[in-house]
Amino acid sequence: MTSSATATPNKSRNLALVVGGTVIVLATYLYLVISQPTELQTSSTAPAGLIAMAGYLVGAVLIAAGSIHRLSTTTIAMIPVAIALNIVVGQLVAVIGLPVYLDSMGTVLVAALAGPAAGVVTGILTNVIWGLTLSPIVLPFAVVQVVIGMMAGYAARGGLFRKPWLPPIAGALTGVVAAMISAPISAFIFGGATGGGTGALVGMFQAMGQSLLGATTMQGLLSDPLDKLISFTVVYLVLSALPARFKQRFPFVRQYQVFGKAPAAKA
Amino acid sequence: MSSTLYVERPSAVHRLNPVTKLVALLCVIVVVFAIPQWWASGAVLLLVIVPAAVISGCGGALARIGGQILLPLLVVLVLVQGLTFPGGQTVLWRWGPLALTTEGLMFAATIGARIVVLVLSSVLLVLTTHPGDLMSALTEAGMSPRFAYIISSTLQLIPSFRARADSILLAQQARGLAVPRNPVRRLGVLMPLLAPLVLGMFTDVEERSTAMEARGFGSTAKRTTLTPVRDSRAQKVARWVMPAVALLAVVLQVGWGLL
Repeated sequence: MTSSATATPNKSRNLALVVGGTVIVLATYLYLVISQPTELQTSSTAPAGLIAMAGYLVGAVLIAAGSIHRLSTTTIAMIPVAIALNIVVGQLVAVIGLPVYLDSMGTVLVAALAGPAAGVVTGILTNVIWGLTLSPIVLPFAVVQVVIGMMAGYAARGGLFRKPWLPPIAGALTGVVAAMISAPISAFIFGGATGGGTGALVGMFQAMGQSLLGATTMQGLLSDPLDKLISFTVVYLVLSALPARFKQRFPFVRQYQVFGKAPAAKA
Repeated sequence: MSSTLYVERPSAVHRLNPVTKLVALLCVIVVVFAIPQWWASGAVLLLVIVPAAVISGCGGALARIGGQILLPLLVVLVLVQGLTFPGGQTVLWRWGPLALTTEGLMFAATIGARIVVLVLSSVLLVLTTHPGDLMSALTEAGMSPRFAYIISSTLQLIPSFRARADSILLAQQARGLAVPRNPVRRLGVLMPLLAPLVLGMFTDVEERSTAMEARGFGSTAKRTTLTPVRDSRAQKVARWVMPAVALLAVVLQVGWGLL
């Protein structure tokens, strides 16, 4: 892929990449959910792990490749700041030892200011950089951040950042989707053991008679919606504390009136 | 803490084209995930990763970092799957709802061996490849230079981001912000920290993007490289042979399953 792109000539190709990537991610998830019971009885998880890894990786890369050319230079310059925010806050929270991750606030922030495509690129590159520098374990989860960026961007576009009670709802919904998408990764690649606290929960659900995928899904549903609810709310609070002049500089914010009508007449 | 794990060494593994190493990493992962036996991962570990680590001279660093990442994961994995694996039949020991089963332990061994290979091989790539080299090699191979910009720029940004966060926190404490000991309460500090941090960092962005535009960042012309990436015919061949081997492993495994 050469970077021969000022949006218009390659618009259909970019769209095809994003749609194709999304279809692959969804197909991977559905296949794993539907075929999973028989996999476990024979206890050969080989195809399941491979398919989870390959399907999610290819899907995430396609979505990111289709998104990157739509971004302006200002957005590109903004993304490293957001990734740094994800990683620094995420690590801080991990050190404190809270049961949430808070590693996607930068993704949500960029998605709210510059749209879903920017959120997607921020999301995938957060996990790539985190994997390259500190912990390769987050790499297989890159697709989850892609989904978060996409959903946060569309939430902003749909006006869910206009009223204070809407971002928590959007966050919780995003968290449910994130939990479901990430469950096959923790089940088939990590066997449910992605950390001490989460591992104990997975064990508890299995002891209560859940399958492996069922247990990781339930574990995700316990922590992800809360985590994303907090992230979306904090991002909303931070953004509403910032001057309107700053927010209205972003074309995406002006075009979709992400924060409602601009207070000044200059729009 | 430094922002990358890269260790400078004059070794053959370091001199390889980063794309070759990346292809090798992906193929190793495909092979261990295609073959559902723990000995396959063990063989890859002994025949590929350990020799590569010894040649690269990063064996000590690899063992230390890999151990830090892997030990907690493996302990949790063996405990959780050994005791509560849903498909467990042969019970070795039982206590209430927990039952130590052979199937569970075998499952933990298979998954655990894979995770060991996954983590050690990617840490080895990171130890032996400078992120800048990896980016320029991937850009030469056809990746959009925008990805390379974002990744390299983030790696440089993280330390200054931390410094800025620290100074904001100190400034807020100077005007009376209490940082509580209780970790959950500490979350409340996030707001007075984040608002100035975001405003400051994002205000710089506009200036930076103007500077980038002025230097032709948005241009789509084909660029030449300042430091060409080392490559050789053998590596070009290897980049085709390794995926073929990985594909063969997948085909054989799926074929085996069908028979």
